[in-house]
Amino acid sequence: MSDLDKAISELRACKIIPEPQVREICHKARELLIEEANVVQVDAPVTICGDIHGQFHDLMELFRVGGDVPDTNYLFMGDFVDRGFYSLESFLLLLCLKVRYPDRITLIRGNHESRQITTVYGFYDECLRKYGSANVWRYCCEVFDYLALGALVLGTSSTLEPSFTDQSQATEAVDDDVEIEIMNSRNEITARFPRSRRRLFESDGLNSSPPGTPSKAGPPGTGATSDSGGSHLSGGAVLCVHGGLSPLIDSVDKIRLLDRKQEVPHEGAMCDLLWSDPDEIDTWGLSPRGAGFLFGPDIVKRFNHLNDLSLIARAHQLVMEGFKEMFDSSIVTVWSAPNYCYRCGNVAAILELGEDTSNGGVVSRSNGDPGRSSQAFSPNQALRSGPGRRYRVFEAAPQDPRGMPAKKPVADYFL
Amino acid sequence: MAAPHIPKLNTLSNARGTGHGRGRAGSGGILITGAEEDKSAKDRVVQQTDQDASVSRLSAVEAGYLDDPFAKYFVSGEGQRRFPIINRGTYVRTKAIDNLVDEFLSKNPAQEKQIISLGAGSDTRFFRLMSRRPVSHGRGILQRPNVIYHEIDFQANTIPKLHPIKKLSELSGHIGSPVMFSHSTNPSEIYNDDSLHADQYHVHPVDLRNLDPSRPAPRSFDFVDTALPTLIISECCLCYLPAAAADTVALYFTQHLFPNSTPVGLILYEPIHPNDAFGKTMVSNLAARGIVLQTLKKYGSLEAQAARMKSYGLEGTGGASVKDLWDKGVEGKEKERVAGLEMVDEVEEWELLAGHYCVAWGWRGGPEDDVWEGWKSMAERIGGK
Ligand SMILES: C[S@@+](CC[C@H](N)C(=O)[O-])C[C@H]1O[C@@H](n2cnc3c(N)ncnc32)[C@H](O)[C@@H]1O
Repeated sequence: MSDLDKAISELRACKIIPEPQVREICHKARELLIEEANVVQVDAPVTICGDIHGQFHDLMELFRVGGDVPDTNYLFMGDFVDRGFYSLESFLLLLCLKVRYPDRITLIRGNHESRQITTVYGFYDECLRKYGSANVWRYCCEVFDYLALGALVLGTSSTLEPSFTDQSQATEAVDDDVEIEIMNSRNEITARFPRSRRRLFESDGLNSSPPGTPSKAGPPGTGATSDSGGSHLSGGAVLCVHGGLSPLIDSVDKIRLLDRKQEVPHEGAMCDLLWSDPDEIDTWGLSPRGAGFLFGPDIVKRFNHLNDLSLIARAHQLVMEGFKEMFDSSIVTVWSAPNYCYRCGNVAAILELGEDTSNGGVVSRSNGDPGRSSQAFSPNQALRSGPGRRYRVFEAAPQDPRGMPAKKPVADYFL
Repeated sequence: MAAPHIPKLNTLSNARGTGHGRGRAGSGGILITGAEEDKSAKDRVVQQTDQDASVSRLSAVEAGYLDDPFAKYFVSGEGQRRFPIINRGTYVRTKAIDNLVDEFLSKNPAQEKQIISLGAGSDTRFFRLMSRRPVSHGRGILQRPNVIYHEIDFQANTIPKLHPIKKLSELSGHIGSPVMFSHSTNPSEIYNDDSLHADQYHVHPVDLRNLDPSRPAPRSFDFVDTALPTLIISECCLCYLPAAAADTVALYFTQHLFPNSTPVGLILYEPIHPNDAFGKTMVSNLAARGIVLQTLKKYGSLEAQAARMKSYGLEGTGGASVKDLWDKGVEGKEKERVAGLEMVDEVEEWELLAGHYCVAWGWRGGPEDDVWEGWKSMAERIGGK
C-alpha cells in the first residue's frame, strides 16, 4: 500500500495524518491545481456536491449514498472547512482523493476557503488544537489559493439513467420523459417529475414539498423551461460555482481571465463568485452577508442564454430540503451538510448528472460561443432544456457510529 | 483576530452524567434517592444556563454590540467569543427588552415605578439603568430612573451574583444606601450571602416554584410595593418551568400579589416553534444537555403567547420574533453599525435561529393606563403583521 493509500485509509477512519505528510500532500495537490484553469472542464457523468463544513461523518454518509471514489465522479463546490468539528479530516481526505484520482474528483473554492474566514469560523482553531501549531492551517490555505473558481460540466444527458445500485428497479428503464428524480438515502425513489408535464407546475413557486413526502402536485423546483417532451438528448452545459454571479462577469470567458491565485478579496469578481446569492429581485441587490451581491432571475436567464448554459449549480446557502431550484430551473442550490452545525435540522442533497451517450460520447463544446452574445435576449424566450437531474437526499449520519467517544459539539442557542 | 468560540462543556459537565436516566432502574429505595438527585441535578442545569447567558452577554459587549460595562463582573471564569449570529441575537433581545423598559420608565418619569426580574441571573439591567446619564429618548429625556428593582433567582445564583456587588464599588456604588445584606435580625441570617435589600435594589433568593397563593409570601416580598406600576420580566426563565408552574408564577404576580388597580406589565423572552425541523433539533439538542424547554409546547407561537397574556389578565398584548425585532425594530444608523460589526456569513442560520425566539409583552391598565402607551405603539410597529 502506498503512503498515499495509507493516508487515505487513516483519514477515512477520521484520524489525522502526520504533519510532514500533510505538507507533502498539500504540495502535490498544489502542483495539480496550478495546472487547472479557473473554470475546470468536467465531463458527465458527475455528482455535484455543496457545502461540507467539516461534517466528516456526513461526508462518509454522502459517499455511501452517492457511491465511493473512484467509482463515482465527484465535483465539490467548496466550503469544505469551518463550523464542523472535522474540517481537517474532511478537507485532507478530499485532497488526498484528488491527488490519488485527479480525474475523478474536482474541488472548487468556496468563500470559507480563505485565511480570514477560517480564523473566525473554526478551521484555524481546529488546526491549532489538533497539531499544536498553525503550520497545517498554513499549508491548507496555500492549497485554497490554487483551487479553481468554477467548473463547467459538459456532455450531460437530458434523460436519466437508472440508478447505479438500483437493484429492484434496474430493469425498469427510466422513462425518457423524466427530468427530475428524487431519491432517499435508502436508494428509493421518492418523486419523479416528467419534462413534458412541467408546464403544469409553472405557478408552483419555490421548493415547498418536504422530502420524504413528495407531493404529486409539483416538482421541487420552479416552473417550466422549454417543452421539449424529451426530444433533446443533450442536457446542455452546467456551470458550477460556489456562490453565484457577479455584475463584473457576463461570460464564462471572463471568469477564465481572472487571476485567482490569491486570498479571496473583499470585493470584485472573484469575491462575488464565491459570495453571491440568487434572490427574487429585478436585477442586482446588496447582499446581507456583507460581501458579494444578490442577483435576480433575469440576470441568471440572460447569463445562461448568452453562455449557452442550461443550468447553474451553486451551493453556499443552507436549504432545508437539501436542494432548491429557482428561476424556472435555471439555477439550483445544492447543500450537502445535513443538520448543519448540528443545529439546523435540515437534510442534505447531492445532484447526479448523467452522461449523454447519444453522440458516441463526443462532447459538444459550444458553450461560451461569442456569437451568441450579439443576439438580443428577452427573458421570456424559451430557455435551454436542462439536463436530467437526480437528487439524492440524505440525513445526518448517526452520531458516534463506531462507539468512539461522542465529540458532539454543543450547539449554541439563546439561553 | 481573536480566537472564536469553541463550544465547551465546562459549565455543564458536572450536571451531565449525574441523575439523568441512571438510578431509575434500581430498587424502590434507590429510586427515591435517584429521583431527588435527579431533581437537584436538573435544577443545577437550569441554574447554570445563566453562565451561558452571561458569557453570551460579555461576548456581545466585547464585540461591540452592547454597551455594558457591568457584564464582565458577572462572568465566572474566562469568557468565550460567540459566533456572530449569537452576538446579534443577544443584542436584539437585550435591546428589545431595554426599549420596553425605557418606554415604561419614561412615561410620567416622576412617578415611582417597580421592576421585578424573574430568574434574573447575571442580568445587568439594574446597573445599566442606574449608571445612566440623562439621554434623550423619543421626545423626552431619560434620567436615572425612579424605580425599585427586584431580582429573583435560586439561592445558588443569588450568591455568586452578590459576590462582585459587595466587593466592587463599581457595582455597589449604584445600589443606594443604606445597604443591608440581610433584612433579618436573626444573627444566623445576617451573614447570609444570598440576599440584598437596598433602597432601590433587592435580590431575593427564591425558587419561583414555591410561590403559592395559599401560602404566605416569602418574607423578603415585604419589600415589593404592590401599589406601584410594575413591570415583570422573564428573560428566558419561565420557559424552564413546567407550563402549569409557569402559569402559577405569572398568575401569582398578576392576580394575587398585585391588586387589580395596579398597572402591571409582563415581558417574556422565550423560544417558539418547536415542531419544525429546526425546532425539533433545538429541543433534542438542549435535552441532550439536560435542558428542557417546558413551556415551549403550550406556548409555541406568537398567537399562543398573546392568548397566554390574556389568560393572566393582561388585556393589551404585543409580540415579535427576534428575527422581526431585528428586521423591523432596529433601524437606520444603528442597524448599519451593528450589521457592520462582524461579517455574518450565517444568514440562513440567523433567520432560522432568530425565528425561533420571541419577545412577547402584555399589560393591564389600572387608572394609569397611559404607562403602557409606548408598549402599544411598539406592538403596532413591530408586532403587527
Ligand atoms: C437562561 S438564565 C437567564 C438569566 C437572565 N434572565 C438573562 O436573560 O440573562 C435563566 C435563569 O432563570 C433562573 N430560574 C429558572 N428557574 C427558576 C426558578 N424556579 N426559580 C428561580 N429562578 C429560576 C435560573 O436560575 C437562571 O438564572
